[in-house]
Amino acid sequence: MNILRETAGYLPGLQAGDVAWQTLGFEAHGRKLEVAVPCLTDTQATALMDRVRAASRCYLKSLTVAEIVTTIDKAIARLLDPADPWRQKADTLLPLVTGYDAEMVRLGLTGYLKTFRRPQLQRFLVEDFGNPQLLDDFAPRAKGGFSKAFGADVAVHVWAGNVPGLCLWSLISGLLVKSGTVGKVASAEPLMAGWMAQLLVEVDEQLADCLAVVWWEGGNAAQEKVFFSHAELVLAYGGTTALAQVRQHVPVTTRFLPYGHKLSFGLVARTALDVRKALKTVQQAAYDVVRYDQQGCYSPHVFYVERGGRISPDEFARYLAHELSAFEKKYPRRNLALAEAAALAEWRQTEEISNLAGTRGTDVADIAGDGTWTVVYNSNLQPLAPGALNRTVRVVAVDQLADVIPLLAPHRAFLQTVGVAAAPRELFELAEQMGRAGVTRICALGQMTSPEAGWHHDGRFSLLDLVQMVDIESSAEAAAETLAPYVD
Amino acid sequence: MALSPLIAELHAFLAADHPSDDAFNQQALALFAHQYQHNLPFQRFCQQRGKTLRTVKSWRNIPAVPISAFKALSLSCIPAADAERTFMTSGTTQKEVKGKHHHPTLAVYNDSMRRNFRHRFMQGSDRKIRMGILFPDETMLPNSSLAHYLALALREFGTPDSHYLLTEAGLDHTRLHVELARAQQTGEPYALLGASYSFVHLLDELQGLGKSFTLPPGSRVLDTGGFKGQSRELSIDEFYAQLAGTLGLGREHCINMYGMTELSTQFYDAGNATLPSVKSGPHWIRTLVVEPLSGVELPRGEQGILAHCDLANFNSVTTLLTEDVGIAVNGGFLLLGRAQGSAAKGCSLAVEEFLQAATA
Repeated sequence: MNILRETAGYLPGLQAGDVAWQTLGFEAHGRKLEVAVPCLTDTQATALMDRVRAASRCYLKSLTVAEIVTTIDKAIARLLDPADPWRQKADTLLPLVTGYDAEMVRLGLTGYLKTFRRPQLQRFLVEDFGNPQLLDDFAPRAKGGFSKAFGADVAVHVWAGNVPGLCLWSLISGLLVKSGTVGKVASAEPLMAGWMAQLLVEVDEQLADCLAVVWWEGGNAAQEKVFFSHAELVLAYGGTTALAQVRQHVPVTTRFLPYGHKLSFGLVARTALDVRKALKTVQQAAYDVVRYDQQGCYSPHVFYVERGGRISPDEFARYLAHELSAFEKKYPRRNLALAEAAALAEWRQTEEISNLAGTRGTDVADIAGDGTWTVVYNSNLQPLAPGALNRTVRVVAVDQLADVIPLLAPHRAFLQTVGVAAAPRELFELAEQMGRAGVTRICALGQMTSPEAGWHHDGRFSLLDLVQMVDIESSAEAAAETLAPYVD
Repeated sequence: MALSPLIAELHAFLAADHPSDDAFNQQALALFAHQYQHNLPFQRFCQQRGKTLRTVKSWRNIPAVPISAFKALSLSCIPAADAERTFMTSGTTQKEVKGKHHHPTLAVYNDSMRRNFRHRFMQGSDRKIRMGILFPDETMLPNSSLAHYLALALREFGTPDSHYLLTEAGLDHTRLHVELARAQQTGEPYALLGASYSFVHLLDELQGLGKSFTLPPGSRVLDTGGFKGQSRELSIDEFYAQLAGTLGLGREHCINMYGMTELSTQFYDAGNATLPSVKSGPHWIRTLVVEPLSGVELPRGEQGILAHCDLANFNSVTTLLTEDVGIAVNGGFLLLGRAQGSAAKGCSLAVEEFLQAATA
């Protein structure tokens, strides 16, 4: 088997020969890939941070946000072009790195990239700023005075793995607010960010020093301290333990934005379960499960299905099983490492054995699937809890969707997306209650893994959170008037 | 088959000299038929897997029951209350449900243990050895299979002066020093047997005092069970290096036993001079390395989950799916530890993190 090789990262000002490299091995779909990731010394790391800060001050801050949007739009157009060498590289190598089915990666990437074209970016900016001019100039405020939004000179982004290209989200957000960015890629997907940085520099070579993409072994306290001590802002994606550890190394005076792991689920009202609509509803639910094998924060773990429709909840579960088995043929689940497979097997065994033990009382439970996917059905209300991921989903029958609301309270910190199939009035009633419980995103089934451009990630402002507002109060303006040379 | 002829047949099989593959298979299928008929949770488990007496033609096809099932199901061919002894898994918390293994009689367990122990730890010799046991006795832990195993070792293979070094007050330091010094002076071989973590406590004690010994030839050590958070964690290599250094015996005389409450037979290595050591069992237990989700046997040399078919497990289930990772090699298997949950790759909440948050 010939081994493919690729170099990760983007290190302006550093020669490849002066940097130590470590190799990460990947194997999937019968091919091997070795990725060289950079290991910087403290001196190199400091030099890199200084370089990005300087370039961000002199160049990035001199651009208008419209110019930046144009540059990103051009780069995204390149990635949307199937003939472009960068896109071809992504289509070839990302399936090897992540293990996901190549077609699933290709479709997912295209859908995702489309949210970064000019119109979507403009919407994204208006969503957060109202008037994006705030990023270019002191703009008049309705209350009086003027304000301008300043991005950090340099921000460090610590990215998570397995949904390919996830890092583009924060990389592009940083650019839009004219912030220099040093991003740390995850060992699970070390490539996309470096490619994007190089592509942006191809589009506008003066961006060369405004970005860097680095790597260090997760948990390397010394490296984290060096990078974080030179940053004005640190963004990190990861699990609670990883985030807690990252936070320890962020200086108290540096702003820290953590994006933790999330728990998402679906609600299916009886109105979505008539004979005509049910099939579509189930297909959409299955699609949300299959996309990225439930590794996304927005991926559903449980579907609560209302009784009283023409299709009963247990029929819904059987349909879902059928759809998942069809998807397995179209987009096979990635191969699991032994530990992942063992964890999934243990989860399935626990379900299987508790059925045999008859400890479920009146609950009628069923388990279907061959290990590449699993559907567990429960006739009694079950608490919201994560499944074993990798296409394992629980279907729970409920008398009313409102019965689910009391189950949410304990998980406030983890709630994110809810895929809802319900009539308008019910949608808004449920939205109010779920919002109170801590849910931050409600979408249609089938769209759970594709957030809209300009969405509020974890209920926050993706761009607004990255800037510092500077106000010129009306008093300053009034006082200045008295000092003008032309004052009478 | 009624119970007593079945047990008689088993004793004969244990005593047999190199029985054929076919004999193993026949014995396994006879036990499968017995368990399928009398152990109803197991029957339901088989039916759920689509396995019946008709379809299972080889011991390899007997459905392997996950060890976690011993917690939720009563896997026994007799009413649990009629068991001579019930061994329970050691839970780390009070709340934790314990796995139960019911033995209608301990005769088979004891026969299995004695034959195997004599061969592997006593090196086939009938000459008894002075033993110190680093584990509580059976009166303190009546439901511990390890306590019973060690009590049996002491009673059957220990000299009359053999003794327990662990009391309700903890490690008996005074007696330990006396025994080690005595062995060194008299040249009488001495054997220390117990839980791996107790040996770490012993090392901490002796190293703290700056003491070391040179045990006479014929002395040996048997440890089992790993550290389980009951002592400091150290690598296996460090563990045996320190054990050999502090007690003054070769690492080839430090034998590790791999057993579990849910089995009636143990595995041993032939010392730990080189790592990883190869574990193997007697002719009445066979091990498969399987892919955890499909249960399909993996080719030799590939990592998988261990499944054991133990013919001494006549009352529960012969074939168990463990949570241990291993590789099949010539002469046995390498034990690579528990299948640890891999670090979450995406940003979807994983069960482990969820549970941590729930208990925080």
